[in-house]
Amino acid sequence: MKFIDKTTIKIDRELSELDHFALDFIDILKKHTKYVIVSGYVAILLGRARASEDIDVIIPKIDFLIFQSLYKDIKKNGYYCINAEKDLDIFEYLKDNLAVRFARKNTMIPNIEFKWTKNEFDEISLKNSIEINIGKFSICVSQLEMQIAFKEMVLRSPKDLDDALYIKDVAKEHLDFKLIEKYKEMLYGFY
Amino acid sequence: MGFIEENERERRSFIRKWAEYVRTHEDKDWSHQQNIIINSALKSANMTREQFFKMKKETHYIKY
Repeated sequence: MKFIDKTTIKIDRELSELDHFALDFIDILKKHTKYVIVSGYVAILLGRARASEDIDVIIPKIDFLIFQSLYKDIKKNGYYCINAEKDLDIFEYLKDNLAVRFARKNTMIPNIEFKWTKNEFDEISLKNSIEINIGKFSICVSQLEMQIAFKEMVLRSPKDLDDALYIKDVAKEHLDFKLIEKYKEMLYGFY
Repeated sequence: MGFIEENERERRSFIRKWAEYVRTHEDKDWSHQQNIIINSALKSANMTREQFFKMKKETHYIKY
């Protein structure tokens, strides 16, 4: 794992089934909108020794026509929405700030948990994303400092605290610990 | 120290050791080992829509 600069990490990793799933979906998604991957899969990409049943993705608010085009492409590539079938129903969930999930046809796990930005922290994650290069693939993930702060201040489950500990250790020479504290202060009392 | 605290201490100690291993070994090495966990977990995961949403506490928004 090489930290090329503040916004690029290069990993020459063997791909897991979860990686294939994520990269395949992102390949479709990025043709239609910006995105950022957050939460557990970020730690897993960096080597955390655990699995996950879902991959969390945040996108900016998009209009219905763009969503229709994206959903058509998602379906054409062998995925379906677990929550609903009609594009308008799915779009309504997104408008209500609810996450929707996409999986490969006839499966439930793994799936993509897909939601719109709903506050300034989602916006920061989207704006300050970093790039992880894995062979010929490239994937946008949330800034590691934000991930750590969010997991330690907001999510706080044992799994999330373990993820934060792992990221802090594996990337310790490359993290801005003052920025983690700044994000924690911003998050304090917000959720 | 109680069982829960001891369990947590051991778990976090392993996480730190594994992070050190990842930092000091080739990507192909650690990812190969990590993938054994990930791929086997996904292979054994088999749920219905209802079971999955119940687990996630998201049963209130399914339209099928």
